[in-house]
Amino acid sequence: MKNYPIWKSFTVISLVLLGIIFAIPSIIYDENSENWFLKNKINLGLDLQGGSYLLLEVQLDVLYKEELDNFADSIRLISRDKSTKIENISLEENGLIVSFNDNNKIKEIRDSFFQMYRGLFLQINSNKLIIKLNDDYKKNIQDSAIKQSLEIVRKRIDETGTKEPLIQRSGKKRILLQLPGVKDPERIKDLLGKTAKLTFHIVDDENTSALQNNLAPFGKIIVSDMYDINIKYLLDKKSAVGGENLIDAKGSFDQTEGHAVSFRFDTEGAQKFGKVTTNNVGKRMAVILDGVVITAPRINSAITGGSGIITGDFDAQEAADLAVLLRSGALPAPLEIVEERSVGAGLGADSIAAGQIAAIIGMVLVCIFMILIYGAFGALANVSLIVNLFIIISLLGTIGATLTLPGIAGIVLTIGMAVDANVLIFERIKEESLKQTKVFQIVKNGFDRAMSTILDANITTLIAAVLLFAFGSGPIRGFSITLSLGVIASMFTALMLTNFLVYMYLSFANKKELKL
Amino acid sequence: MFGLNKIIPFEPNINFLGLRRNFLIFSILAILISICLISIKGLNLGIDFKGGTLIEVSTKNTSIGELREILSSSYSDVSLQEFGDENIILIRLQNKSNQESIETVNSVKNLIQDKVVEFRRSEFVGPTISSELLYRGFQAVSFALIAILIYIWLRFEWQFGFGAVVALTHDVLFTLGLLSILNVEFSLATIAAILTIAGYSINDTVVIFDRVRENLRKYKKLDLVELFNLSINNTLSRTIMTSLTTLLALVSLFIFGGEVIRPFALTMIIGVIIGTYSSVFIAVPTLLIFKFRPQDEND
Repeated sequence: MKNYPIWKSFTVISLVLLGIIFAIPSIIYDENSENWFLKNKINLGLDLQGGSYLLLEVQLDVLYKEELDNFADSIRLISRDKSTKIENISLEENGLIVSFNDNNKIKEIRDSFFQMYRGLFLQINSNKLIIKLNDDYKKNIQDSAIKQSLEIVRKRIDETGTKEPLIQRSGKKRILLQLPGVKDPERIKDLLGKTAKLTFHIVDDENTSALQNNLAPFGKIIVSDMYDINIKYLLDKKSAVGGENLIDAKGSFDQTEGHAVSFRFDTEGAQKFGKVTTNNVGKRMAVILDGVVITAPRINSAITGGSGIITGDFDAQEAADLAVLLRSGALPAPLEIVEERSVGAGLGADSIAAGQIAAIIGMVLVCIFMILIYGAFGALANVSLIVNLFIIISLLGTIGATLTLPGIAGIVLTIGMAVDANVLIFERIKEESLKQTKVFQIVKNGFDRAMSTILDANITTLIAAVLLFAFGSGPIRGFSITLSLGVIASMFTALMLTNFLVYMYLSFANKKELKL
Repeated sequence: MFGLNKIIPFEPNINFLGLRRNFLIFSILAILISICLISIKGLNLGIDFKGGTLIEVSTKNTSIGELREILSSSYSDVSLQEFGDENIILIRLQNKSNQESIETVNSVKNLIQDKVVEFRRSEFVGPTISSELLYRGFQAVSFALIAILIYIWLRFEWQFGFGAVVALTHDVLFTLGLLSILNVEFSLATIAAILTIAGYSINDTVVIFDRVRENLRKYKKLDLVELFNLSINNTLSRTIMTSLTTLLALVSLFIFGGEVIRPFALTMIIGVIIGTYSSVFIAVPTLLIFKFRPQDEND
């Protein structure tokens, strides 16, 4: 072995061995292995192993409007205290404009209101009080809503028994979910699509004219029935007790009532519930879920035990799902699904199989071609190419990257492009062989001259791949990862491994002249 | 040492630049046609950029017509398509709102439940997301082009940077034009393909430019046209070899990689061919605009 430094051979051989050894976990692919070594396997993306990707958007507008409604109620109370009549309250996009009959006490009203809600923008314009939600106030609402939503979503997903879900905030008002292995995405979407805001209200059956005119007096609301929107109830606007006081809910079955949900309150809830039912025996109590009345049974006697059941026209699954929703709590605002990508396990397996076939056939074709064109040198380049593939696989496994279908495409593409560095070197060697006859000098010059071209050429591809990673989403990122790893690995294999192999070959074959 | 490379003339001496006017006219026409096609016919936008719902099902003993009949009674804007295999059917729907789509998927699934063996995939992209994705894709392509150019600028003289821009713009527009004619679906993967093509085409261009620069130093007296010809010929076998191995891998991906990846593979195949062509016939001749040597002005 002429002029080939020991340390260099050692480095090349150990890197190649590491590349091959760390590809083993991904090749064996034992899904449940706890072995520290076998755990270094490639993570399959949802498009390959099957599962659901969901992007949810918190409907903040609903929250803002709710907050403005609260303001309106507070203003009404304050102005009643100050005995000032309100002429009109108009709801604008970002605020409220309250017009009073006279503007004597408008400053006092403003100050009392300010005591309750600090950080709002308040402005007086003759008899009008303008209340605006400014950006900071909105941001607070937004942040706490997202935080709460994340927690509730996590609880609901846990209830479905999904293994290793990924649930995280994405951008300002979105939540991203990756649910591997989910077989029934529709059920999950149903669970996430409900706010599950549960409240109990006393029904006002005496004021029949309000229902006829469809006009709720102050402190009351009109709510329709869940199963028949023509049935309306007049209810106290303030709820007697709400879902936040629930500590447990279960689907249950009752001989007379059918499927139902039984629930239990915490101490505070039990006290409230006990008090309300004691004071309102004989009246009806409506159970409202997300703005509609599920049921409105009559209170026959005070309920002080802190537990009860909700009956409705449920089947077993509906009762169980409602129990899940009640247990995990209400979302602060509705969530809207803005993107969904669900892949069944069958398609995922097909994609893996197809990708493997494409990679193997692509590899064989390229290898045959290289041998046809470059003979023995082509065979050496093929060894590099195969090692290159092992290195990509082992890097993917050890850095915990996710392999997606476009990622497989990236690997196949790399197989075709990886020989480029070898080709550049061989072509240079070919040129050098015309200029001189010393075999090792030819090879050395060939590698040296090709080096800067190889770097230039590969860095442009890397730039494209990195930007693709920065701007791409999910599966496309998988492509940019495999492409980048492939490009980096191909530079190593060409400049170091092929170099080593060529020197070895020339030393052992004892070549006196080189014609490529 | 054996090798077919001995059959290819070892020192090719093809007068590429002699034909530059013909190729220039060809490319200008191709680009103009592409621009017309993109703006008039447009691209076949997939749900990533158009929004909507897509459901892939595998069926048994059911014809596509039967499914179409069931679905079109409920949906006016439904389209069905066999997807690589007569038992695998792709259902596409346009949705107006996010909420609607959730209900749509559910009801479509209920309608065809008993005809279907497996729901292989369902995708939904809402209107806000699709416009965001389009914007981000556009951003990615623009930033990549700019970054590549800055790199070329740093490594070469600015004239080479200009040649590279012309070639890259040519490749991207020409590829988009062909995608429009062939009605290939334009998706997120297409953006990835276009970026990779940009990287690949520049890669090819850089190798030739590298040689041009080397030859400029080596042959101080040589006429520029001859020098460019020489540089292209020097690197010709590499240009052909790399394009062929890349195409071999891509054709394998196109044929065996499965239906989902096929548009990506096709776009890449088109792009690699155009990119190789442009490196030789567009990028290098562009350099002739510039006088690299003062004495050339006397010619």
